[in-house]
Amino acid sequence: MASRTPTIGIIANPASARDIRRVVANANNLQTADRVNIVLRVLTALASQGVEHVLMMPDKSGVRALLARALKREHNLQHRFPRVEFLDLEPTSTVEDTFQAARMMQAAHVSAIVVLGGDGTHRAVVRECSDIPIAGLSTGTNNAFPEMREPTITALAVALYANGRIAPAEALVPNKLLEVAITGHAGRGQKQPAVRRDVALVDAVISTERFTGARALWRPESLAAVYLTFADPQAIGLSAIGGLLQPLGRRDPGGLALQLSEDPQQRRLMVNAPIAPGLVRAVGIAHMEPMVAGRPFVVTQEAGVVALDGERELAFDGADRVTITLREDAFPTVDVARCMQVAARDGLFRLPSRSH
Amino acid sequence: MARKLSMKQAINEALDQEMTRDPSVIIMGEDIVGGAGSDGERDAWGGVLGVTKGLYAKHGDRLMDTPLSESAYVGAAIGAAACGMRPVAELMFIDFMGVCFDQIFNQAAKFKYMFGGKAQTPVVIRTMVGAGFRAAAQHSQMLTPLFTHIPGLKVVCPSTPYDTKGLLIQSIRDNDPVIFCEHKNLYGFEGEVPEASYAIPFGEANVVREGKHVTIVGYGLMVHRALDAAAALAKEGIEAEIVDLRTLSPLDIDTVLESVEKTGRLVCVDEATPRCSIAADVSAQVAQHAFRALKGPIEMVTPPHVPVPFSPVLEDAYIPSAERIVAAARRSLKEGKH
Amino acid sequence: MPSANPFPLERGQLLQAYRTMRTIREFEERLHVDFGRGDIPGFVHLYAGEEAAATGIMMHLGDGDRIASTHRGHGHCIAKGVDVVEMMKEIYGRKGGACNGKGGSMHIADLSKGMMGANGILGAGAPLVCGAAVAAKFRKKGEVAISFVGDGASNQGMFLESLNLAAVWNLPAIFVVENNGYAESTSRDYGVAVDSYVDRAAGFGLPGVTVDGTDFFAVYEAAGEIIKRAREGGGPALLECKMIRFYGHFEGDAQTYRGPGELDDIRANQDCLKKFAAAVTGAGVIAQTELNAVDKEAQSLIERAVKEAKAAPLPTAADLTTDVYVSY
Repeated sequence: MASRTPTIGIIANPASARDIRRVVANANNLQTADRVNIVLRVLTALASQGVEHVLMMPDKSGVRALLARALKREHNLQHRFPRVEFLDLEPTSTVEDTFQAARMMQAAHVSAIVVLGGDGTHRAVVRECSDIPIAGLSTGTNNAFPEMREPTITALAVALYANGRIAPAEALVPNKLLEVAITGHAGRGQKQPAVRRDVALVDAVISTERFTGARALWRPESLAAVYLTFADPQAIGLSAIGGLLQPLGRRDPGGLALQLSEDPQQRRLMVNAPIAPGLVRAVGIAHMEPMVAGRPFVVTQEAGVVALDGERELAFDGADRVTITLREDAFPTVDVARCMQVAARDGLFRLPSRSH
Repeated sequence: MARKLSMKQAINEALDQEMTRDPSVIIMGEDIVGGAGSDGERDAWGGVLGVTKGLYAKHGDRLMDTPLSESAYVGAAIGAAACGMRPVAELMFIDFMGVCFDQIFNQAAKFKYMFGGKAQTPVVIRTMVGAGFRAAAQHSQMLTPLFTHIPGLKVVCPSTPYDTKGLLIQSIRDNDPVIFCEHKNLYGFEGEVPEASYAIPFGEANVVREGKHVTIVGYGLMVHRALDAAAALAKEGIEAEIVDLRTLSPLDIDTVLESVEKTGRLVCVDEATPRCSIAADVSAQVAQHAFRALKGPIEMVTPPHVPVPFSPVLEDAYIPSAERIVAAARRSLKEGKH
Repeated sequence: MPSANPFPLERGQLLQAYRTMRTIREFEERLHVDFGRGDIPGFVHLYAGEEAAATGIMMHLGDGDRIASTHRGHGHCIAKGVDVVEMMKEIYGRKGGACNGKGGSMHIADLSKGMMGANGILGAGAPLVCGAAVAAKFRKKGEVAISFVGDGASNQGMFLESLNLAAVWNLPAIFVVENNGYAESTSRDYGVAVDSYVDRAAGFGLPGVTVDGTDFFAVYEAAGEIIKRAREGGGPALLECKMIRFYGHFEGDAQTYRGPGELDDIRANQDCLKKFAAAVTGAGVIAQTELNAVDKEAQSLIERAVKEAKAAPLPTAADLTTDVYVSY
């Protein structure tokens, strides 16, 4: 098999871990300089595996400017890096940039996308590009989806897969997601009603707050329903509400739907859950049931906002019908742990010995 | 026998009495208490030379130790003053004014004027001035002229413990920004100081010695040098009149003019370097307003126009001495009409 | 049929927010025209395009809360409640101006409204705000003080010193960086080592939030949490508002440093007033006719301000030497 030189995509969200949870919940800040250091470590690891071309999402929030300065410095020190090419898109400093970058990377046939961000960033990439394997690095406020892992190792695993040294069957794993559909009334002159579609990788939450504002969710009294693809008891964020009651793994079939309530008459149990970094709050649950893949759940709340992976995204009201559907085997991710085990098993990092 | 206090003690007493009288008086500065954040003694220093020692025990958190950041805390004192408090900020050495001068000359000095009269900034910035401590070039300057040059600031430089207490109390009560200069070499100098609280008005020079032959004008440590010179001159039958300016802005030029009308001779002594100094300012004003009274040229006794040297023999040569003042007085009497 | 209000402000407050932003816009646009005609002495630095930041923040403040601004201070003044007619008189250098004609555009202040002045020295407001915060602490009424700086001024030593002092003393001081991307003509990509001001605050252990400064609601919500926290003794924080200015650094700046099409895109797509209007009318909470009425009122207020300013008396020779000191 002819080895082709793969192109790896990198989407580094400059705006993750910058929101109000720094003030209301002591959440981490991740400095721009640290994001750039992560990218540099990824580039170093890719270079060590012979990857020569990287496509990056540009930004106007300091990452690109600082990376350019750093690469010049590295060049002065004569360190080898892949050629970093920035996508030709005009940054708006909104999630639209991530959507567009993902589409462009798909069109450019990158072998894999390394994503630096929290749950929201990963969601945005998958929404627009669900065929190409992603490898996540947690640099967001809420990191239930991406794993905590040293970026150098993630990049080595990605390179091994992209170079074809580890087969997809061993390198990749399937992931679940939630499809959200909001069907409004047909507008004037329209035959069909307008449908808004989106996805969530970990949780879709119905909030009674009715504007998107500062986006993050941190007030439990505003939460009406929670739909989960998986519920890890070790995870931080809204999925902990489920994870601490009825754990459900990433590779297990099915999802979990919870109806929440503040009303003592309605709620059947309560859980004290870490709903955001630094924030542990009591949440009342009225009803809990498993979700089966393919079966739409109709949202019963009249009006509110659907928050996807921790951020308020889609407002809806009485004229809208909102459904949430679990899909399994929806998109692949690079299984970094397994890749490194296979690499050790198959001696992929062995070098010829010169001592004989 | 009347009670004697050192200049240092006089400062401490003035601060204590004003803080007791007026809850809006707060003090901020580096190590004015000392020991902040560490395991040892609180009030470890009470100021780098112990001037504010003991105040923390009486007035607690109205004394605020600051990080090493003059722009921020001198600016904060100014901002708090504009909001109705009466802060006393300590700028440890006047030599450090470079790192906070904007807050003083572009902000505090100009608020009342720029805001059409609708603001006041009752801040006092206490600061150490002067040479003789072997502290070298960056800790020994007499930068008073830089402040008197700025409209909107008041500048005070007392020479005795009595004047120090009264003028500091006046400074705190005054509603304009005041730069209160304390000569580090006079901290130990003792003099009579009443226990009661009292304020000395600004713009009133003090004739500390009367004489009819020559007027010697000075402030701070130079008043003492002038007194030594006057004692030597008296032995030659020359009676010098010494005018202690006390406040450089407002400047009591009238007392100087009156004295020159009487003596016809003027020697200006100044520890500040000669270009654009207080001596140059006073000399020019006297030449402008009392030219006909002058019987001979004005003499100025200042350091040479050099930074303050370290080596003691050089520093002693830098600071105007009583001998140089005597020589200048003699020169002023040699020329012209008698 | 009026829709239920999804916003965290009542209808009256939403209209007030719009009124404030529109008043600032009309004030600045009128200055742009009159300056171009040569009517106005000196320098003016216009806040047009940035209205959502000043308004979203100031709506949480009362007269006892203090602010200090920069050379680009008209928006902060208006949002803080300084009299618009007095401001115009001041810009025209007349008696009866906010500073009796002695300060001008760059030094407009009204201490009775807690406005400690626009400032010609960038970054100088930050230590002053620390001082206002010290005074607030001693007054014990839960008041706060806010310092506004730009991306350029965030490099000034006294700004960074103020972050440290505020952190060390846990002052109710809030630092707002209005990041419009340019320090005069120099882009932040050149002059700022890392284009993130929350990162600078983090270096002093202060939390920071970055918001889209052209989104009134994002500013309002983030500022609300930060101000509430400071009032309750939670200490200082930094709010970074990413925004754009329509005009140059000063009036007369041809802005040739902008990229091609940059200004057109800004007016079309990043106008905070248009965004606000679209949000409130789109939600059916406020009717466009109500907004139009506010527009007209703002325009007549500015018209009256200019008329009165041009008719106001000039200061006299005696005024030259007054108010240097309280007493001398």
